[in-house]
This record gives sequence, structure tokens and C-alpha cells, in this order.
Amino acid sequence: MLFNSFEFLVFFTIIFMLYWLLNNNLSKQNILLLISSYIFYAWWDWRFLSLIILSSFIDFKAGSEIFKSNTVKKRKNWLLVSLIANLGLLSIFKYYNFFAESFTDLMTKFGWHPNDLTLNIILPVGISFYTFQTLSYTIDIYRKQLQPTKNIISFFTYIAFFPQLVAGPIERATNLLPQIEKKRIFKKEWFNEGVIQILVGLFRKIVIADSLGIYVDTIYGDIGIYNSTSIILATFLYAFQIYYDFAGYSDIAIGTAKLLGFKFNQNFNLPYFSKSLTEFWRKWHMSLSFWLRDYLYISLGGNRKGIKITYRNLMLTMLLGGLWHGANWTFIIWGGIHGTVLSLEKYFKSTPYAHKLNGFGFLGYPITFTIVLFSWIFFRAQSLNSATIAIKKIIQFDFSMPFIGDINSVINAILVLSMGILFDLYIFNKKIDLENFGAKFSITKIAIISSVIIILINLFYSTSNNFIYFQF
Amino acid sequence: MDTKNLKYIIKTFVFILLITLLVDKIVFFVLNTISDQVFTGQSIGKLNHFLKIKDDVDFIVFGSSRANHNIDPLMISQNSFNMGMDGRKIAYPATLIKLLPKEKKQIILLQIDTENAFSENYTGVDIQALNSKYNRNKIIKNEIDKLGQNNIIQNFYWSLSYNSSVLGILKNYFKPNYNYKTYFGYDPIYVNENQRKIFKNILSDEISEKCQQRLAINKIYNSYLDELKLFCEENNKTIIFFTSPKFNDTCKNDNDKLSEIMKTKKLIYYDLTDYFKGNNLLGYWKDKDHLSKEGAELFTQSIKKKLTNHILGKEYTFH
Repeated sequence: MLFNSFEFLVFFTIIFMLYWLLNNNLSKQNILLLISSYIFYAWWDWRFLSLIILSSFIDFKAGSEIFKSNTVKKRKNWLLVSLIANLGLLSIFKYYNFFAESFTDLMTKFGWHPNDLTLNIILPVGISFYTFQTLSYTIDIYRKQLQPTKNIISFFTYIAFFPQLVAGPIERATNLLPQIEKKRIFKKEWFNEGVIQILVGLFRKIVIADSLGIYVDTIYGDIGIYNSTSIILATFLYAFQIYYDFAGYSDIAIGTAKLLGFKFNQNFNLPYFSKSLTEFWRKWHMSLSFWLRDYLYISLGGNRKGIKITYRNLMLTMLLGGLWHGANWTFIIWGGIHGTVLSLEKYFKSTPYAHKLNGFGFLGYPITFTIVLFSWIFFRAQSLNSATIAIKKIIQFDFSMPFIGDINSVINAILVLSMGILFDLYIFNKKIDLENFGAKFSITKIAIISSVIIILINLFYSTSNNFIYFQF
Repeated sequence: MDTKNLKYIIKTFVFILLITLLVDKIVFFVLNTISDQVFTGQSIGKLNHFLKIKDDVDFIVFGSSRANHNIDPLMISQNSFNMGMDGRKIAYPATLIKLLPKEKKQIILLQIDTENAFSENYTGVDIQALNSKYNRNKIIKNEIDKLGQNNIIQNFYWSLSYNSSVLGILKNYFKPNYNYKTYFGYDPIYVNENQRKIFKNILSDEISEKCQQRLAINKIYNSYLDELKLFCEENNKTIIFFTSPKFNDTCKNDNDKLSEIMKTKKLIYYDLTDYFKGNNLLGYWKDKDHLSKEGAELFTQSIKKKLTNHILGKEYTFH
């Protein structure tokens, strides 16, 4: 079920009403959340519900066993059970074909032609997200940062909670689980914030991202035939398409959760307003980048084991972060670019020249944006070959008129993109936090702002595509 | 939840609903007023232009961009219009044909293609381009509803009718591109160097076409063919279907199958896919499906010849 569908509107309206009617009974309310979350997921494919249920069972058990175990070995073993089970499922469903194909390609280069090893596997939607979410639970218990829950319904609800099930934000158990186990109180401020954030998210997704997607898909669909200007323009628009698509999704998820009395962590904070890639990763898909930092980078030793190990850890974290996005070399290279630049930034900061350039900090914005833009080529291209063609085409420096196609849709896209950027600039300059936007608004103000957004959506929405992050 | 909060939620939603509906209607009526005066541009102007002249013309071309760019109606009749538009398949032109006057004798040339005729996935989605008239024209509303291409929400939020067309409307309202009184719907393509280069690139990268194996006619397509036949028979219209030329069409079984279907249905049909075969020049084309102005002129001449020889007879001349 997509957030931007009529079914979701009906689904959520019913759940919202039932949910607050059951406000005096926490366990019934949680059962409702669990059942509705499973319906939400089964709408896409009911067969894969079994995977979520299996993961939930294993981690519920592993969590409680880790906590109960009094020896380090036992604790480690149960953690391993959780890691192997979750990462095993993820590997089979997401990476098996990738590794099988890569192995076959490599062997072919050595003159051996093995049989086709790939299998007909469907990637279950959201598997990367809920796997990371459930892993954070067992790892936190192992690290003694969290006590396991005894309530299986609460735990299953935590894993499957529908606002964040299929594309995040990746909520840690430390944040979400206590909220599930505590009586929720209806807060007007959260309700106001939620309504505004859902509408802003819808606008970002179905108006801005989907409008930009038309041009981007045309160019990247047949990249070999377009000139440098068209490819640069498409990559530039893609940078905003993916941002508004995913930030929009996160807004709707966070807003929906707020209407149910839950507070998620912020997932995007105007990432293109960053002076360095390090800052970019503090603002882009924050729930993933903080997860990678806390559970991978730090587990690898972080920056505690000398400068060389720090660079290695950074690189590994970003390469694996790239692979998390998709089973394709393009994502690994994308991660590699980010890892390299992050390492360079770290190195540069440790040199005596760093402070001399303090006055030129503003140059960090365009430099960071250009690096991010370049890396998006790999992220968007359908294959490594397409990415190579795109780069070759760009360095041909054929800056003649770009391909325009349907002029109306391009003008529409540019207009709505301008609206999005102006809104972002406004909240950046005013230091407004979108998460709290609207908290103190009166009903009339909420209604007026909502109606303006709804009419803008009516007039400018584009054909709805799946959210980009669903494929991860 | 206490009553106070419940009241707050209900009050907020009712307020949002009321204000939104009010603003929606204001926006809808303002856009109606503006768009009714727009007769240029693809988003709505051309449709308004067609609705204005549809009762008077005696020859009309319908179809996709392959009709729009490939046929100059003036070469056939001085009292004509080309209503071909990008992305239109059969649902859109069929609906417009149903709006034609009952008594007036008119000749309709409708471009069709095998891809859509045999597509399993064609749902009549092109009819959505008539959305701007959904809340204003019963025939259009019925056709959109019949195909299930309506947006339920559009029954409440009328401004949805103008989705994606506002900028085009405003632009053409304040600064029309051309004088619509001298426009007959035909948009010739003057191919520039860049387009020529792109086309050459496409041809050099060309991989062999995979021919469609399953050739069952799409249900919606089929039903529109029958409906159009009936409508034209009952309303003094002559309808001729044709397929537009392709640069190099290697699949023939679909063309044969379509010809067979049209013959069974006793519809007049010209398969002109290979019109340029044997006499093909790069200069006739913008891409594999669209002709340049030069190609379009040659093609229109041949259509005119066919119409004169086979349909109209020597005694009939266009005005």
C-alpha cells in the first residue's frame, strides 16, 4: 500500500479512528497497530509477511537470551544467531543473484563458463529497513544499552509498525519500543505537526519528485543518445528527485506516526545545505547514516585504532552502505566515492592547512553538492556500463541545447522544483524545524495552509511512481 | 480520548475540508473562465479550438503525434483540422468524435497503430487528457467513467481537472503562441542538426526489433472500433483508419493481423506503415516514427490521392 494512494487514505482513516477509540486499552491498541501493519504489508505481497514474522520471532528470543545469559560466550552466540538469521535472509533475498552473477562473470574471465547460478527471487519490499531495525534491538541488548521487552506484541509491533515498515526511517528500539509500551496521549501540537508534515511530504513526493522523474527517466532510460547538457541537467534534477522522493516519504511516515502519538527521529535536514560531505551525512537519511556509524563503523573500531584503521573503517562502512542500497556495482562505487571523500576530508582536517581555509568555508556548499551530484550518476544509472557512458558523454563537453521533450512537463517540473527549493531556503534561513512546524498554529491557520497545499497538489501532481527507496 | 480532543480533531478536519472545497471551487471557476479564452497550446488550447470549429469543418484528422506532425489537412481540404496530439491513442479521439454534430457530413481520418491495438496493457489512459472537461461535459465524463480513468476525488475536488495544465493555460492566456484563426492543427517538424544527430545515433545503436507474438486485439481498442463504426454510420460521417509510416518496420505479422481485423469489421483502413519503403531518405524523418515537414508533405499527398480515388469519387471535392 502506497502512502500516496486512495487505499491508504481509507485505511489510515479507519485505523486512526479505531486507534483513538481504543485509547484506554494499551494492549488492544497495540494489537490493532500490529494487525493493521501486517495488512499494510500484505497489501503488497502477503507471502513475505512470514519473513517479518520469522525475523521478529528470532530476535525476540535472541534479545531475551542475550539479556539472560551470564557468560560472554553465550551472549555472543545469541547475537550471532540474530546476525546470521537476519543478514542471512537479507543475503538470500537481496544479494544472492548479485554474487552469483559476479562470480559467473569473474570465472568467465578466467575461461571457465559455469552454469547459470541465478535464481528467480523476488526482493521483499522493505527487507533492508526492517532487518537493520531488528538488528539494532539485539545489538543494543548485547551492548547493555537496552533491556529486552517481555511483551511479544510490543516487539512485533515495533518491527512491523506500518508508518516506517517499508522505507524507514530506521527507528531504534531505544526510541520506539518504550513509546509502544507506554500509553499514548493525544497532543494537539503533534496532531498539527503531523497533518502539516504529511501534506508537505505528499507535495514533495507526488508533485516535485514525480514531476522531475519524467525528465530524468527519459534521459537515463537511453543515456547513450543524449548530449552532455542533457545528462548534466538530468543528474541535477535527479539529485532533487531522490531528495524530495525520500524526504517526502519520511515526512509522511513521521507525520503519520505523530497522528498516532509516536515521535520518530528526524530523517532529513536540508542535506544539500552542507559545507562538507561529513555534514551531508549528518543530514541525509540520518537514521541510516547514524545506524551505520553506531553499529558498523564503531563496531569496526571507529577512529580509536589509529588513522589508517579509521580510513579503512570509513571506506568499509560506506562501501557496505552502498551495497545496502542495492545489489549492484553502481551502488558499491557510489559508496566508494563517498568513503573516499569522507576519508580525504578527515585527512585534510588533521593537517595544519585546514584552519587557513576557514574564510572560504562558503565554497564548501558548491563543492559538496558537485561531489554528491557526481556520485548520483552511479546511483541512478541502471548499470555500470550506463554510468560509464554517462560520464564519457559528459566529458565530451557537448554543451549544445539540452533535450527538452515535452516542454510543458519540463516547465512544470522546474516550477514545482523552485517552489520546493524556496520552501527549503525559507526554513533553512528561518532555522525552522519542519518536525515542529505547525505545532502552535490555530485550526484556521492549519486549515488554510492545508488547503493551499492540497490545491497545489491537485493542480501540479504528477503520475505517481513507486517511492525510489522501496527498491532498497 | 477525551471529548475535547475528539472535538478538536473533528473541527480541524471539517475546517480543512470546508476551506479546501471552497478554495477548490474558486480555483476551478477562475481557471474555467481563463481557459475558455485560450485557443492556443497543446494542454487545452487546441482542444478548445477543436470544440469551437468541430461543427463546421468537413475533414478532421485524429490520432497521436504521428497524425499531428505527419498530415497537413490544408493540403486535403481548406475546411479542415488536424486534432492529432502527442500521446493520444484511441480513447481520446473516439471521445472527441462522439462530440461531432449529428447531421453534418464529415470525413474523419483516424490514425491508429498496431502497438496499442494489440497491447495487453492499454487501459484507455489517454482519455485523461480530457480531464479538464470532466466536470463540464457529460459525454466526456461518461467516457472517462466508463474506462475507469476517473479519479474518485475529482467528484469533490474539481480543480483536479486542471492538473498539470495550469502553466500552459496561463502562458497561452497572457501570450498566445500563434494566431489560432490561421492554425489548422498541423505542426510540421523542422528537423535541426541536434535532432538529426540524435536520430543517427539511435539508428547506429539500433538492435533488432522483437516482434509481438500474442496478437489478440485489446478489448478497449476493439470496442472503440465498433462504437466508432456505429456512430459514424448513424451520424453521416465517413471514417477512415490508417497507420502512419515507420522508418523501418521489421515486424509484419501485427500489420497483417490488424488489416484482417479491420476487414472483418468492414472498416476502411489504409496500412501505410511501409509507405516510404523503397523510397526512403533520412531527410523525410525526425525519428523512426515522425516525419519531417518534407516527409509529411509527401505523405499527405498520397493520403489525398487515396481519399480522392477510393473514398470520395471524382464528383466530390473538399471545400
